[in-house]
Amino acid sequence: MRTIVLGLGNELLSDDAIGILIARRLQSELNGVADVIESGLSGLALLDLLLGYDQAIIIDSVSTGMDPPGTITEMEPEDLGHVIAPSPHYTGLPEIISIARELGLEFPDRVRIFAIKASDLETIGGGISAQVILSIEKVVRRIKELIQTWNLENAIISS
Amino acid sequence: MKQKITIDPITRLEGHGKIDIILDEQGNVEHAYFQVPELRGFEKFAEGRPAEDMPQITSRICGVCPTAHHMASTKALDDLYKVEPPVAAKKIRELIYSIFFVEDHALHFFFLGGPDFVVGPTAPKGQRNILGVLGKVGLEIGKEVIAVRRQLRELITLVGGKVIHPVFGLPGGISKGITEKDQERFIAASQKAVEFGRFCLKIFNDVVLKNKQYVDWILSDTYTHKTYYMGLVDQNNRVNFYDGHLRVVGPDGSEFTKFPSGDYLKHVAEHVEPWSYVKFCYLKDIGWKGFTEGESSGIYAVAPLARLNAADGMATPLAQEAYERFFDTLGGKPVHHTLANHWARLIELLYAAERMQELSNDPDIIDPNIRKIPDNTPKEGVGVVEAPRGTLIHHYQTNERGLITMANLIVATQNNAARIAMSVDKAARGVIQNGRVDDGILNLVEMAFRAYDPCHGCATHALPGQMPLIVRILGPDGSLVGEVKRG
Repeated sequence: MRTIVLGLGNELLSDDAIGILIARRLQSELNGVADVIESGLSGLALLDLLLGYDQAIIIDSVSTGMDPPGTITEMEPEDLGHVIAPSPHYTGLPEIISIARELGLEFPDRVRIFAIKASDLETIGGGISAQVILSIEKVVRRIKELIQTWNLENAIISS
Repeated sequence: MKQKITIDPITRLEGHGKIDIILDEQGNVEHAYFQVPELRGFEKFAEGRPAEDMPQITSRICGVCPTAHHMASTKALDDLYKVEPPVAAKKIRELIYSIFFVEDHALHFFFLGGPDFVVGPTAPKGQRNILGVLGKVGLEIGKEVIAVRRQLRELITLVGGKVIHPVFGLPGGISKGITEKDQERFIAASQKAVEFGRFCLKIFNDVVLKNKQYVDWILSDTYTHKTYYMGLVDQNNRVNFYDGHLRVVGPDGSEFTKFPSGDYLKHVAEHVEPWSYVKFCYLKDIGWKGFTEGESSGIYAVAPLARLNAADGMATPLAQEAYERFFDTLGGKPVHHTLANHWARLIELLYAAERMQELSNDPDIIDPNIRKIPDNTPKEGVGVVEAPRGTLIHHYQTNERGLITMANLIVATQNNAARIAMSVDKAARGVIQNGRVDDGILNLVEMAFRAYDPCHGCATHALPGQMPLIVRILGPDGSLVGEVKRG
């Protein structure tokens, strides 16, 4: 099973760095277990990164909703609204998955998203806020558990 | 453990892609405002940093066109240190930049213009997306688009490092050259890119130009503005993305001015409106006359249509043919129809592919002399390129140790902001009557700004991963009458 952990974000842009920081933290811990990739790309470029993997974990910041900063939400792609992107640069994950399925591309069967609520995503060099930093260890722990669970399930299925 | 949640995009929308439409007593449009976000803190962040870091920093502030920022920034460093890169370095930079253009323009056509034109502006909402486009042009073509794109991005990575974190441009040159073996890959890919460019134009011809209704949309007054146009041109006044002089033509198509890019402050000024974070660029010599068009208004446009209007032609044969056909079909120069940007973009794609082929075959690109070490004391530098979305200007000042004391960027969408605002306003007036707004009408308003491929950059890759759009309809007293949301 090929697993990718994809940390999305922009480390220059305040709380948007969170996905990158978590990926960096996981880099050594998941050595040999999963490919841990940091990326600031968006839209269709994410398709290039995800192709060829069986399972994927995506970490990103969110600015929406009423939750306090640092709140972690686990989602599957179906939980994201299926939106028509008004620009290709903002092609959403659901759209990317649809494209991959439609074209018969080798896209992960399992996708789990960790969304971390941010407080500021618009200040360059603003630094990351304390509540958001607190989410790091929780997400790291949760991702390691999740990969173990997935791999255990895979082992049971294949036996 | 799993909970069902809906992401409400309101917070992000405060800054990203918001249109406020104000209605009068009769329910007709009094004014429509299009707003884009402010990116805070860049100047402060840049201050005190070594100028050499700017190509890395600026390419990271935006996940949409890092290559364009990297290139503009690198050129600003050449100018800062007054150093002329060797021939091989310049050609490799332009080669990489041409590849970026092919890839970026193709993405736009299939994913953005496609839903409007290949599927159709009035098609049901559920079909106006890339899947609808693939349904119409065929899955094999979809696979081809994905494959070509991937191959081009791999080539950029080969020389420039990761697309998002390019480690490529240095003052006076580049960090890595091209080997003879690499060159073969570039040549092979460029052949494919040219074929792909011709193919895209053929689709446009078959699907759009042969459909009278689409052509009527392109030509309709709702999507037309007579403004000035700006773009980089080479010494023969032909379109160039990487280098040259900035040329401005008037609404009648004649040259208004042409200047070295370093002089931009003498020609371009910025106007501030209380309702927008964006500073609206206008031509200094004409002045700001409000959101009006015509010769007496300083508003100008950039991006594909503007570049074709601002030049006398294309520097490669197939693109030149397409260029002539474009103006013949649309009634001569200049073309003022905003939606013609989609066609212009494909002509540029073909040019970028042909230029990629020329440069790939050029023996100079494998010359190992790729850097001239700068030895002048830095003070001030300006770098300009054409980003896919229009003219992009980087301007830095430093102290004698090369630490940034001032950094200013004028991005494409800012150059275009005034005309985009007018386009949205005009489209809203054209399609909203008696307070009736639905999804189809919203799409017709969106089409007005989508043609420019505006980039609000920077923070927008966060989940849910797209720029949602909200249109708020306000009554004459400012009360909220209705709201239509995407996202």
